[in-house]
Amino acid sequence: MAAQPKRGGVSLPERRPVSKPESNILARITSSPIVSRGKQAASDAAFVSRKLIRSTGKAAWIAGTTFLILVVPLIIEMDREQQFNELELQQASLLGAPPTAPASK
Amino acid sequence: MAGLVPPGTTAVPADVSHTAHTKHDEKTDYMNLPCPIPYEELHREALMSLKPETFEGLRFDFTKGLNQKFSLSHSVVMGPTEIPSQSAETIKIPTAHYEFGANFIDPNLMLIGRVLTDGRVNARVKWDLTDNLTVKANAQLTNEPHMSHGMFNFDYKGKDFRSQFQMGNGALFGASYIQSVTQHLSLGGEVFWAGQHRKSGIGYAARYETDKMVATGQVANTGIVALSYVQKVSDKVSLASDFMYNYLSRDVTASVGYDYILRQCRLRGKIDSNGCTTSYLEERLNMGLNFILSAEIDHRKKDYKFGFGLTVG
Repeated sequence: MAAQPKRGGVSLPERRPVSKPESNILARITSSPIVSRGKQAASDAAFVSRKLIRSTGKAAWIAGTTFLILVVPLIIEMDREQQFNELELQQASLLGAPPTAPASK
Repeated sequence: MAGLVPPGTTAVPADVSHTAHTKHDEKTDYMNLPCPIPYEELHREALMSLKPETFEGLRFDFTKGLNQKFSLSHSVVMGPTEIPSQSAETIKIPTAHYEFGANFIDPNLMLIGRVLTDGRVNARVKWDLTDNLTVKANAQLTNEPHMSHGMFNFDYKGKDFRSQFQMGNGALFGASYIQSVTQHLSLGGEVFWAGQHRKSGIGYAARYETDKMVATGQVANTGIVALSYVQKVSDKVSLASDFMYNYLSRDVTASVGYDYILRQCRLRGKIDSNGCTTSYLEERLNMGLNFILSAEIDHRKKDYKFGFGLTVG
């Protein structure tokens, strides 16, 4: 197994050395190569998934706060502008129409 | 003559000059080019869109006009101010000050003075001697020794060129010249000499401007290359982008931003390649009453600055 991790990269934790097998059948099963490999694979998977979740979380935080600062005021202001325009249109149609026409909703 | 050239042909070898003339709306009259904008305002559109004056804390400005020409201004600013530190982390110190100012604005003469409670005094003068010659002066006095400075500018505006000569304290001399080359393109250059730091520099700039877009480029021997592009998407929206590269210190910054000028508000937002996003909102609450919100988030340094303010008058 490579003892030196790559510089600047993320590497899996070092593997534990395999211990001597014992005489008991249960101990033999739990210390057999298949079981130890399986445990190693499970811990590697947990490590990788923890890193993934952390980096996804960081990316989601950065994306979320940037969206909040850049896009949310824009949406609010465009909505207000549209409301203002509709109100003006309504007022214009109200004042521009002859007095006999009733107020349209 | 029109019958010889059928409409829609792009190239008729026998009669190229005639088709070229009918295709253009008007020929560029090289004797009547428009006057270019001043050299220091070359990046004006990009600066307005991409670099709003973000602040942190509270800001309150009140301007009261006493006369047609004369007005007074009061301003209160409270909030943390960054001080430059050697280490990577930012050091902020809460400060508060009040600023009193007086402005006299005439068609030919403009005088602006400001005095602050932390001991600084600013003064600006702009005097149009004739139609073409303008004198500008700028001074800032502070309590700290050797931090006060002043500068004089002499501007001469010709038919399609502008030239400027400036002198400042500390033996600072500079000159710049910009000329309209075609209807849309103007080129210029500047030189400066700083006696106190024994530095001199020369720079060139170009600006291409149409109704819909403005593109500028500037190179200087201090190592700066700055390019900017602003596109006016509609009369309310414009998008801007900026690229700055220092070839001596290998420092690159690119930024992209938008500028929405709506009836009730003006919203400017920008995102940077240094991981910094800013947003600046000026909302018109009433006639003469503006509410300002400013936000700046630096993801890399984890520095967050938020400010709010009110501008009256």
